[in-house]
Amino acid sequence: MCVCVFNAAASLQQISASLGTEHNRTRREGRSRFTAAESGILHKCLFLTVISNMEVPRRPHPTSLTLALPKPASSALSPLGAVEKVAKKEPMTDKLQEKKDGTTEKDQFEEETFHTEEESVVSSELKDTNTSTVETKLSSQDSFSDDSSMSEERFAEDSKEAKRKSEEEEAAAKERTAQRQLMAIEELVQSERNYLHLLQMSTVTIRSNLQKLQPPPANLDSMFLYIEDVIDVSSRLLSLLDQKQVQPGDPHFLETLCDSFLSLSSDIEEAYREYLANYNNVTVVENSYKQKEALWNDIVRVIKTSAPEVNATSLSFFLVMPVQRIARYPLLLQTIQKHTEKTHPAYGLLEQTAHTSIALNCRINEYKRFREVADKYKKTETLTIKDKINRLNSHSIAKKTARLSQHIKHETGIATKLVDEEFDALEGFFYVLEHGILELLENVEMYLHHLQGFLACKTEEFDLDMDGEKAPICYKEITTALRQWILPTFEKRMRTLIHKPLCALRDLLVGPRNLIRKRLDKLLDYELICEKSSLSYEEQDVANTYRTMNTLLLNELPQFNGLALQMIWSMLGTFSCLHKDLASDMEQLFQSFAQQLPHSSLDPSAFWGWAESAVLEGARRIETLCRSVEDTLNAPVVQPLSPSSQRRLKQLTDKHGSGKIYQVMGTVVGSRDLDLNLAKGELVAIISEADSRGDKRRWLVDAGGRRGYVPSSKLLRYHQPTEDPPPSPHLTLPVGGAGIRRHSYTPEGRPLTVMSQPCFQVFAAYDFTARGNHEVSVRTGEPVRVLEPHDKRGNPEWSLVEARGGQRGYVPSNYLAIMPVGTGPAGTHQPY
Amino acid sequence: MSWIPFKIGQPKKQIVSKTVERDFEREYDKLQKLEDQTKKLHKDMKKSTEADLAMSKAAVKISADLLSNPLCEQDQAFLETMTALDTSMKRMDAFNQEKVSQIQKTVIDPLKKYGGVFPSLNMAVKRREQALQDYKRLQSKVEKYEEKEKTGPAMVKLHQAREELRPVREDFEAKNKQLLDEMPKFYHSRIDYFQPSFEALIRAQVVYFTEMYKVFSELTDQIDQAGLTDEQRERETEAKLSELRALSIVADD
Repeated sequence: MCVCVFNAAASLQQISASLGTEHNRTRREGRSRFTAAESGILHKCLFLTVISNMEVPRRPHPTSLTLALPKPASSALSPLGAVEKVAKKEPMTDKLQEKKDGTTEKDQFEEETFHTEEESVVSSELKDTNTSTVETKLSSQDSFSDDSSMSEERFAEDSKEAKRKSEEEEAAAKERTAQRQLMAIEELVQSERNYLHLLQMSTVTIRSNLQKLQPPPANLDSMFLYIEDVIDVSSRLLSLLDQKQVQPGDPHFLETLCDSFLSLSSDIEEAYREYLANYNNVTVVENSYKQKEALWNDIVRVIKTSAPEVNATSLSFFLVMPVQRIARYPLLLQTIQKHTEKTHPAYGLLEQTAHTSIALNCRINEYKRFREVADKYKKTETLTIKDKINRLNSHSIAKKTARLSQHIKHETGIATKLVDEEFDALEGFFYVLEHGILELLENVEMYLHHLQGFLACKTEEFDLDMDGEKAPICYKEITTALRQWILPTFEKRMRTLIHKPLCALRDLLVGPRNLIRKRLDKLLDYELICEKSSLSYEEQDVANTYRTMNTLLLNELPQFNGLALQMIWSMLGTFSCLHKDLASDMEQLFQSFAQQLPHSSLDPSAFWGWAESAVLEGARRIETLCRSVEDTLNAPVVQPLSPSSQRRLKQLTDKHGSGKIYQVMGTVVGSRDLDLNLAKGELVAIISEADSRGDKRRWLVDAGGRRGYVPSSKLLRYHQPTEDPPPSPHLTLPVGGAGIRRHSYTPEGRPLTVMSQPCFQVFAAYDFTARGNHEVSVRTGEPVRVLEPHDKRGNPEWSLVEARGGQRGYVPSNYLAIMPVGTGPAGTHQPY
Repeated sequence: MSWIPFKIGQPKKQIVSKTVERDFEREYDKLQKLEDQTKKLHKDMKKSTEADLAMSKAAVKISADLLSNPLCEQDQAFLETMTALDTSMKRMDAFNQEKVSQIQKTVIDPLKKYGGVFPSLNMAVKRREQALQDYKRLQSKVEKYEEKEKTGPAMVKLHQAREELRPVREDFEAKNKQLLDEMPKFYHSRIDYFQPSFEALIRAQVVYFTEMYKVFSELTDQIDQAGLTDEQRERETEAKLSELRALSIVADD
């Protein structure tokens, strides 16, 4: 392809003409003004340099002329000297020529195509290759020199006068050409110096001054992104020229120039390629500056003060220069070529250089085109719905429907799809790879998430106060080391070596994915038009876009896939290695502590046997303790039982057995049918631990005759005191506040047989005057006999007593008190 | 002494000696701390073993997903690598599960059991407190009657109160003594109880990491370039990434 382009671009006129039409066409297509201008910038430059560009800084012509003028004599002489040299070399080259004769032409092309190889040789052995290249060039020029020598013979056969005259004319012509050649060479070199100077000025002075602006312009760095490479390659070109220490007038200078250019051509291409591809961005940024008037004024002011000698009014004045410069090389070289005689020793080299420079431009152009297509489609567009609607127009709708119908045709099998097997394979691989990468990333993130969860558990902080023990201390130290050092290191390595690259890789997937999708769209467009015989410009453009995209993907997807796969591969290796390192760190750590443990000498099975039995033993002990605590400590206060309760206890125990006896923990008020009303402290026997419907919360109990349901929460197992309770006082009457603590009071009338016991006596605690027949009057301290501790209706507030003299009647129960017989005050009140 | 409104029945006489009360407080304090720690340790242990299991499962998923990826069908070498990786991950997971089950048996379960004792202990302490309150209330009642004129009814009441007080006091004293006795014993029991747990915890991990090291040494020899430093790795990835970025089809931003 390269060669093709090269052939096609044999003459500048042709190139510029063709490029011109393309350019014009691009305009005609009515793309946005901006893209048209930018895509055409390279071509435009080719013109502009021909038709003198307003933007190009004025070259200091006077100086170059004054330098060139003083030594016309030496420059006039030099070509002759060169010819002589060539003559001397000819015998040698003739032999070479004979061998190579048929292939030279081809060789030359190959040399240009593979100039990279040539360059490496040149740079290593500059001098040798110089001569050798000259030789090859000369051999190719052989035919021309033969011609000229023949014509000279013919001239010689003519008259001497004519010969002299013609010689004079020739000499004059030669001198003129030589002078023009010299000037052309001078112009190339001088303009290169000038160009380099301006570039440096823009990047160093202007840039630093711009950075001093408050606030500094945004994206300033992106404007100067690749310019350093351009400066570098340009200065290398100049320094190569300077190294030779030959003056422009020297015939070797042309050789040096060509050699230098050729040797640097790939670097030049590299540097300019990136710069030109990025130039769009530069203009975008500059336009964004222009939007802000104040900022733009500042920038212009800075430029003017920083570079007063040039009449620059914008940044692009400087930044467009590489764009123009690369297009100028072919022109300058061709100018030199035009003014160089074919006999000149460096002519062939010069021709080659000129061709190289053209090919270089073509390649850069091609690269730029690829990049533009790629850049246009590889980004994911983030458009709001509104934007999308705004974008809709008849054209886009027509395009979309055409694509859709074509797609449907494919799906239904009406039309056969244009199959590119190579591409399909690549696409398939890419999707599989994409899927793999996304899945891997997700899993790695999951893994890291769990790792963090693990790290969040600070188990070492709870040592259960087992300070003095070996195992807990070891564990504490291990865990501390683990959580604060080993695992964080592991996590960090995992993040930097696996997670981060994976994320980066995921982000890189976007470009190819978009391009592949867009390629399908373009393929559909392309298929629609490829049936037509003649294509409009627009259609040609569509076809070109498709072809470009396809070629681009075919060229680059394999690389992408291969690299991505390699990355996954190496990441998995790293993953394994990280685990190995982790395990080795951990093993060492644990091993060193494990040896300090008391049971480290046991072999694994013995150890686990021991550990499990020890744990079981511990559990058993804990259980015993637990039960003892519950049994003994949780027992309710053992209140001495009243005789009635004791009787009931005996009755219930006989009937149901001692295990069924429960005590009521709080007063129970029945709310449902068959519920019992029980007082606190009453004893009951459990008949069933559930009600008839199986509700475990209601238990069926026997309360000494009455049966019914009681909430199980109010019942507690009654533990019979081991020793006999102290002889209980006959608290048959609820007296004062103490009544609350009575457990055994039951209102059912039970005969009070206890009164016969002699050691207690009931007294009237206060005077009470009877108010009717049923009541009886008592005086404070008067001993009474309680016949019934309640009235006829069972109300315990009144007691039936027998007072002194056998009078019977009711007194308020709370007017009574009991007292052991023979104690202080009671004695005084016992006259009877 | 803090002023507590409506607090009834504060006896003037010190019924529980300050030292006893202090001892009791100290022992109970220790137990409460122990309870707290046991609970937290149990929780964290459970959480960390869960995270550990999940981590190992995630690692297995990494390799399993890659192995089932069609990439393996296209590239024999890749398939081999993935198979090796998957085998290693599964072995690691198996070892991990064994480790976790051992830890569960020897550490987490005992911790749970130990934690189960505290509720009944707390209940016992509460009961003691109740008994103490009863004791105090009755004591203050007795004191009230003792201060009163020694008239007949007062004597009767004093006698009644004393009678009532005695079983309550005995109950409290028994409970107090038992708790003072049991609490330090229980507290001390943790050492013998947890000693095997901690040892098992360490031992289980020693075994696990030894095995893991073996597994991954083998795997690393098989699939990784040996002896690269992290910087080298990083540089290598970075080089590959920039190579990728240099492609026109890659959107770089």
